[in-house]
Amino acid sequence: MTGILTRLGNFYENTVFLYGAILLIIYALLALFSFLAIRTHLRKESYTNYNNLLTSDLAPGVTVLAPAYNEGLSIIMNVRSLLTLNYPLFEIVLINDGSTDDSLAQLVREFELVSVDFAYDAKIKTRPVTAIYKSKNPAYSKLTVIDKENGKSKADAVNAGINIASFNYFVCTDVDCILDKDALLKLLKPVLEEPSKRVIATGATLRIANSCEIDNGVVIRMKPPRQLLPRFQEMEYVRAFVLGKMGWSYINCVPNVSGGLGLFDKEVAIKAGGYDPQSFGEDMELMVRMARYSCDNGIDYAIRYIPETLCWTEAPATVQVFMRQRTRWARGLAQLMYSHFKMLFNPRYGRAGLITFPYNFFFELLAPIVEITGIIYYIYLIVSGHVNLPYALILLVFVYTYSIMITTAAILWDQIAFRNYRTWKEVFYLCSTAFMEFLLYHPLIVIFSLRGYYYFLTGKKHTWGNMQRQGFGQSKAAG
Amino acid sequence: MHSIFSGFNTTDTATWPWLDYFTGLPLVIQIAAVSIVVSVCFILFIQFRILQTRISGYRLQKRLDRINPIIDAVISDQVILRNDLMADGASVDNVPLDLSGFENPVFRRSANRQLLLERLISYRKSFGGKTGALLRRIYLELGLEKMSFSKMKSFRWNNKVKGIRELTDMDIIISDVNILPLTNSKRHELRSEARNAYIKLSKNEPFKFFDISTEPLLMWDQIELFKTITTTENIAVPNFARWVTYSNNKSIISFCLKLIVYYNQTDAAPAVVRLLDNKDHVLRAEAINCLGKLKYEEVEQQLIHIYSNQPLRCQIEILKAVGRFETGKSAAFLKQEFLYSTDFDIRKNAALSLVKSTHDPALITELMEASSEENQLIIKHSMNPLIKY
Amino acid sequence: MKNILVIDDDAIIQNVLEKVLVKEGFHVEVAGNGKEGLSKLDLMKYELVITDLMMPYANGFEIISKLKQHPNTANAAVIVVSSITHEASVMDSFKLGVDEYIRKPIMVGELILRVNKLLSNRSSNA
Repeated sequence: MTGILTRLGNFYENTVFLYGAILLIIYALLALFSFLAIRTHLRKESYTNYNNLLTSDLAPGVTVLAPAYNEGLSIIMNVRSLLTLNYPLFEIVLINDGSTDDSLAQLVREFELVSVDFAYDAKIKTRPVTAIYKSKNPAYSKLTVIDKENGKSKADAVNAGINIASFNYFVCTDVDCILDKDALLKLLKPVLEEPSKRVIATGATLRIANSCEIDNGVVIRMKPPRQLLPRFQEMEYVRAFVLGKMGWSYINCVPNVSGGLGLFDKEVAIKAGGYDPQSFGEDMELMVRMARYSCDNGIDYAIRYIPETLCWTEAPATVQVFMRQRTRWARGLAQLMYSHFKMLFNPRYGRAGLITFPYNFFFELLAPIVEITGIIYYIYLIVSGHVNLPYALILLVFVYTYSIMITTAAILWDQIAFRNYRTWKEVFYLCSTAFMEFLLYHPLIVIFSLRGYYYFLTGKKHTWGNMQRQGFGQSKAAG
Repeated sequence: MHSIFSGFNTTDTATWPWLDYFTGLPLVIQIAAVSIVVSVCFILFIQFRILQTRISGYRLQKRLDRINPIIDAVISDQVILRNDLMADGASVDNVPLDLSGFENPVFRRSANRQLLLERLISYRKSFGGKTGALLRRIYLELGLEKMSFSKMKSFRWNNKVKGIRELTDMDIIISDVNILPLTNSKRHELRSEARNAYIKLSKNEPFKFFDISTEPLLMWDQIELFKTITTTENIAVPNFARWVTYSNNKSIISFCLKLIVYYNQTDAAPAVVRLLDNKDHVLRAEAINCLGKLKYEEVEQQLIHIYSNQPLRCQIEILKAVGRFETGKSAAFLKQEFLYSTDFDIRKNAALSLVKSTHDPALITELMEASSEENQLIIKHSMNPLIKY
Repeated sequence: MKNILVIDDDAIIQNVLEKVLVKEGFHVEVAGNGKEGLSKLDLMKYELVITDLMMPYANGFEIISKLKQHPNTANAAVIVVSSITHEASVMDSFKLGVDEYIRKPIMVGELILRVNKLLSNRSSNA
């Protein structure tokens, strides 16, 4: 009996050891790849003249989709800010998702809107659209406002926008996000300079707006958040985007283009079925479906990332709100892995099936579970007196310093590339946050993720059937 | 976890007690211990690098703050505010130019000369005409072109591109011997930059590589080339029909179609018409688009004739082209497509073209009456001046 | 003395236009973005506004539309100076009542001629 237990214990130890070793190697590789990707990007950037695209009659049109629900406090300012984007041919489609405040009335008044008879083909099914507005004033001719019934999800609102979008590319954002004025130019460049593949999506770095100096929708000065929780998130974003996404982009394995800001190929997005209103992680879910659609239809696709910060978003500042956000993300991830499980190690889906999906499965989805079992096992070892304390401490310190090294490296890549923040004090302030992550921030993420998985397992299972029809029905019909 | 690799102990006869202790540890712990040291060193190194980056960024900013006002003062004195230049007949090459302002010792440092060069280029991007020409003269008189030429000799591709870019921005001729080898470089970015420069600056056959290039011309390159071709003064614009007819490179044909539209080369239309037999439907669609924008009405009947055999993309382009011709001869065709097609985009484009090409309000009223509710909405949509697309 | 308002977010252009126009004998106010531009409308009556199209806070179209309604600039001539060549931008500008659309790079001599012509037309009509 004890023999079996010891063997099980050994097996577990070996697996966890292997798991940890692979994870550490992946991080080291990502750091290397992202460094190479950023270096190439910077070299190109040193002579790139965006003015050529900005002033070109050949620039492809872009539709900017901004869904809004009860954003009355800032909606006018945000729309005005979107209208100042630097790009020769674009439209802003604001989707008022059945707001119960006076958002629509404000928009109508400020931008001199009138209801128009707008004919469009609802290629993606959404909640009914009540009215579509255009401005009488030529100054706002780029603006279209959709008023629709509330669909209880960002996905449904964006889908309504995709249906009426005039151009072949759309940029999806949140109305409360602040975009860099050159965001469209920079997101489109990877699409236009790709030699052989079809770029179906591009993303850029997101940052936390909480402590930035912001004036009427323009970021005047970037600052790391003063509050601890948002500052942890800023650090996490720098690591996830500048180091993570850039590294994945280097080997064309980007798992996800964030919902805050991303540019998408409209045709592929529509054929893949649009955003899934039942999903808790609709941006990643769409990305997976678009990749899957491309593989199924022989489109040699690429998803690209650029290291520049082009979007600032308000981060949850209380543990309560943060918990809700992360629980939702974890639930979305679990949903996604479950419904696309067939992709795991499926060579038919190329890199997405062999690298991206397995990585997400083992090191994103399973990570919190592995960690929690590890802790339990550890406690058992301590209780039963099997643990060699100095060794255990060395291992702990090792993981601790390694994680700080990776995070600091990410901050360095960001600094080398863009010199964000005005003073070096602010940079070191952010670096210092990394030392506390292990004890304060990381446990929260693990717990909230497990909470999300729990909700996934016990939650409304009936949504599944719904989701399958939405997602796969359409992509099969289209293919 | 200590049990995993406990068998790996080496029996080294070390002389130092701590090394003895270390080699006695399990391999995993050894690796971990070494990694801790490496990580800590690396973290310190990174922190140092961050500080370094910050300091160099700060210094650059300070230099810019110091230098730019000096540059601006000289430029405004010698270029912007001079009276003799704007007079008719004044030649940029002959007016006196006092550049003693740039003899300031700060400009002996080559990094600062680079900043000066960049500032001159940004001025020249904003101001053309005689102002631009005088800025070019300053660039030459200060010998800054030597810096650009030496960048072209750098072994780094991005420096080469930068050098070429500076020279083309300043309209400096690069001899064919220097630029032609780069047009075949293995590095894509360098190749396309060299071609761009060649088209802009070569006096011989600027469009030569259109004949030989076999690889696709990327959209980004097309945008840059298009800008160069359409903004370079004194460029000898060839008849682009030549490549439409003879090139095997689809992206070059597609690019030439856009240039044909830009220069309104109506005599290229017959060559474009021959593309309607091309097997590639994307190219066909682009050819139809080009014919529509050229308003080449002679092809109207042919387009309607081939319409039913075309894929959706080409059909939509045909509908748009017919609308652009505005002859009104195809009203019956458009009406039929509008009333009976099952595809939404076809009906919408047919309606848009109908509204654009017919000047007969009776036809619209008649259509409204014959239409389904959705089609009526499409007509209203097409007629609304607030909706552009 | 005639008043001219120049709105452009490019410091080089701001600076040059200001110097050149002052030399021509105008009083010039300069604004670096849409918000500043709109706030300068309250300062005085302007005979001419020169504006860029793409700027932070409020784009050129919005500024033109607002200055047409502002008592200090309702009768002012408007020149757009932009690097955008796209037809839609040009059309929207003229729909908003712009008098001239000048593409960058700017020819300073030409700009001055147009400014003087516009202003002399205005004063002879008035």
